[in-house]
Amino acid sequence: MTNTPWLAHYPSDVPKQLPPVSFANLPELLRTAAAQYEKTTAFTQVMPNGMNGSLTYAQVDQLSDQFASYLREDLGLVAGDRVAVQMPNCLSYPIVAFGIFKAGCVLVNTNPLYTANEMIHQFSDSGATTLVVIDMFADRLPAVLAKTNVKNVVTVKISEFFPSVVGGVVRIVQKYWQRSLPKIQVEHTRFSAALASGKAKLSKEKVLGYTASVKSESLAALQYTGGTTGVSKGAMLSHGNLVTNTLQMIAHCGDGMRAGKEIVLTALPLYHIFAFTVNLLGFYYNGARNILIPSPRPPSNLRRAFDNYKITWLSGVNTLFNALLNERWFQDAPPKHLHASAAGGMALQASVAERWRELTGTPIVEGYGLTETSPVLTFNLLTGLAKDGTIGIPVPSTEVKCVDENGKDVAVGVAGEIVARGPQIMLGYWQKPEETAKSLKDGWFYTGDIAQMDADGYFTIVDRKKDMILVSGFNVYPNEIEEQIAAVPGVLEVGVIGVPDEKTGERVQAYVKAGLPAPTKEAIVALCRTNLAAYKIPQDVIFVDELPKSPIGKILRRTLRDEAMSLNSSGNNASKGA
Amino acid sequence: MRALRILTEEVANQATVVNEFEQTLLRIFILIIMFGLGAGLTPKDFGLALRRPWGVVIGWVTQFGIMPLTAYVLIVTVLFPFSSTEGVILVALGALIMGSVPAGTTSNLFTYFSKGNLALSVVMTVNSTLWAFIMTPAALFVYSRLLGLDESLSIEFRELAIVIIGLIIPVGLGMLIRKLSSNIGAVLELMGGVFGLLFIPFLIAIWVPRNWELLLTTEWPTYVVAIGLGLVGIIVAYYFSKLLRLHPMNARTIALETGINNGPLAIAVIVAVYIDNPGVDQILLVPALYSLFIVIISTLVTLVFRRANIAAEQKIPNLL
Repeated sequence: MTNTPWLAHYPSDVPKQLPPVSFANLPELLRTAAAQYEKTTAFTQVMPNGMNGSLTYAQVDQLSDQFASYLREDLGLVAGDRVAVQMPNCLSYPIVAFGIFKAGCVLVNTNPLYTANEMIHQFSDSGATTLVVIDMFADRLPAVLAKTNVKNVVTVKISEFFPSVVGGVVRIVQKYWQRSLPKIQVEHTRFSAALASGKAKLSKEKVLGYTASVKSESLAALQYTGGTTGVSKGAMLSHGNLVTNTLQMIAHCGDGMRAGKEIVLTALPLYHIFAFTVNLLGFYYNGARNILIPSPRPPSNLRRAFDNYKITWLSGVNTLFNALLNERWFQDAPPKHLHASAAGGMALQASVAERWRELTGTPIVEGYGLTETSPVLTFNLLTGLAKDGTIGIPVPSTEVKCVDENGKDVAVGVAGEIVARGPQIMLGYWQKPEETAKSLKDGWFYTGDIAQMDADGYFTIVDRKKDMILVSGFNVYPNEIEEQIAAVPGVLEVGVIGVPDEKTGERVQAYVKAGLPAPTKEAIVALCRTNLAAYKIPQDVIFVDELPKSPIGKILRRTLRDEAMSLNSSGNNASKGA
Repeated sequence: MRALRILTEEVANQATVVNEFEQTLLRIFILIIMFGLGAGLTPKDFGLALRRPWGVVIGWVTQFGIMPLTAYVLIVTVLFPFSSTEGVILVALGALIMGSVPAGTTSNLFTYFSKGNLALSVVMTVNSTLWAFIMTPAALFVYSRLLGLDESLSIEFRELAIVIIGLIIPVGLGMLIRKLSSNIGAVLELMGGVFGLLFIPFLIAIWVPRNWELLLTTEWPTYVVAIGLGLVGIIVAYYFSKLLRLHPMNARTIALETGINNGPLAIAVIVAVYIDNPGVDQILLVPALYSLFIVIISTLVTLVFRRANIAAEQKIPNLL
């Protein structure tokens, strides 16, 4: 029996267990919301200059039926066929995603910023035969399609469903000012034509029939993950995974998320699992109006959305909250109607959380999850105890615990790998049984993250397991050492890794990007000596001009390790040669 | 209809440099531009500009402190020592008037393009135009005596009211339209921007051929005064604002607001007061040249400011 001290902290508006789920699949959940909120605005897409287009719940429902009909009747797809989707946040996104679910097909979210190689890997690995792509990024298609099974291409305009004059203006600006519309050199169908064709063949019986065989355990999405830590693999998320995680997330928010009343700003990309479940599914089911931002960079792109709409909810990552806090227009006029904010994706810094609460006067909470867990596993409470620096407590109907290397539970306050069990855990990795076996054991998902639980059941992330360094049998977590080194004056950025060592197995090596005044190795080691145990002291401090980073700004320790290893081996070869 | 007629009158002041047809075009341009600028604003923006009145106060100081002084300094250090024109004193008088009139409405357009604080710019224009009733005659009184002239003039309040109403009404309408429909507002704003871009070459294109002769015969000290007035005003006001630790956005606004004076107003005042003076052409010389060069200078300054703004823009990595 799992130790569940967190249950005592559930406030009265959060159920300890999720009530039985009445939806067999996502389309049922989506149709329920559409019927309930019919005439309300579901989505509004806002461009940086304030131009916008909107769709009601009823429109989204009808249009996604039409797209489902197109996929089945025109393209001849069958249930379980994979459809890749590659577009930024826009009005077409929910129609396409919901249409794929309603057709009984499988959604393969693809980052529009992917390189041709990444696209080839994802499309061929998933076996997608159909691609729905934003026309702005269609220039890479000739190189990509030849190496995949994709036969059908549907192209989407960013201004789809905008009022015609406004949409025309957006098009003209894209074409002649930004020059962001490449000539599409592959055979393709325009989204509007696809919908028209689907509409012509649509009947209520047929569209309901598409999902007759789609059950809770049927595959709904292949969500690719692991790009920064290895070859990207597809997490198989079922209809049941996504439905329950949506309901778990809403339940956990309690009165912090008011049905039919919220206006949520979606600046995070919907192709990412966090925004997909929380913003797209969660707030749609909850009857919110979703403000879709195609690109939040630079952050001033969000200004018109905040000016023109009474935003009540915001989900984001630390980077976004911090960026908004640093924008003068945001400081001058923080959103008056804001109700709550949720952070995920990466650690929410305590200073950012405090400043956010101070400026907006509203709560912000941090949560945790992974692509493999649909994604929400834990969250701090909006209407109960929230502990900054922790990832909160498990959402209803979810078990989370920390285990040692042998899979045994560790005591409260002791670091161990987080493992989780619940209805949101993926079916496995797509066509990777070995990888699946490594992460899914006895119904528990092994996250690869090291954390500790306090007596109240709140979890705190210590580090990634993969990054853990083993020095003479002692576990060393790079985060702890990096924190120390970052405090040395003149250190701009730091990355700590373990490298093989004859005596100790591994030794600690630190990479430092120096600013002014330039820090010395001695100063860095001296500070570490005062605050860290001897085995944690870096043996080498290497000054570099740049540290390798992921596109979202995380320092890539893996790349540092690879570089260190290749340097080592080439060094060895050189010495042999000599 | 009233707004249209008043605006018409304002532009008609440029009669000396443009013909009837071009006036009509300019009229339409300015109407669209001002509508567009208004559509980029909300009442909240004005609330903020007024909540921190420092910008407005500093702008007042630079407007009526720096500009007339700059005109005076340029006259005594460049124009008087190096000019060989007989009626140089009349040219100097024109320069003084040019330096003493309030900010012009084109400053709003350039502030918009410079990513400055548009609400502050509009508030400053209205503020300095209201103050001009007292400050323009006062500045002229002080500096003309220093030059040994005994000039005094008064501005009819009607002239100033026309400027203010011609600014407030289209801007207010633009704001209202945006409030009613953010889409129409955004389209209007974009159109205003496009017309603003066309406005600059258009103004130069109609000005230069007509006054080619003038450009060839004017001697360099007059050029220095006509160009220097705006340029020095912008630079000094910018660094003055930076010195007072104003936000870069507000410093850019104050710089443009200060350097860009209301050329058409200066011309109208001169025509009204000195039309019977045989030297009226000489008096009009600097305001006419200034009206051309300020557009060129402001365009260049705007390019610099835009680059500074882009450099200062927060760069964040991809979110997730």
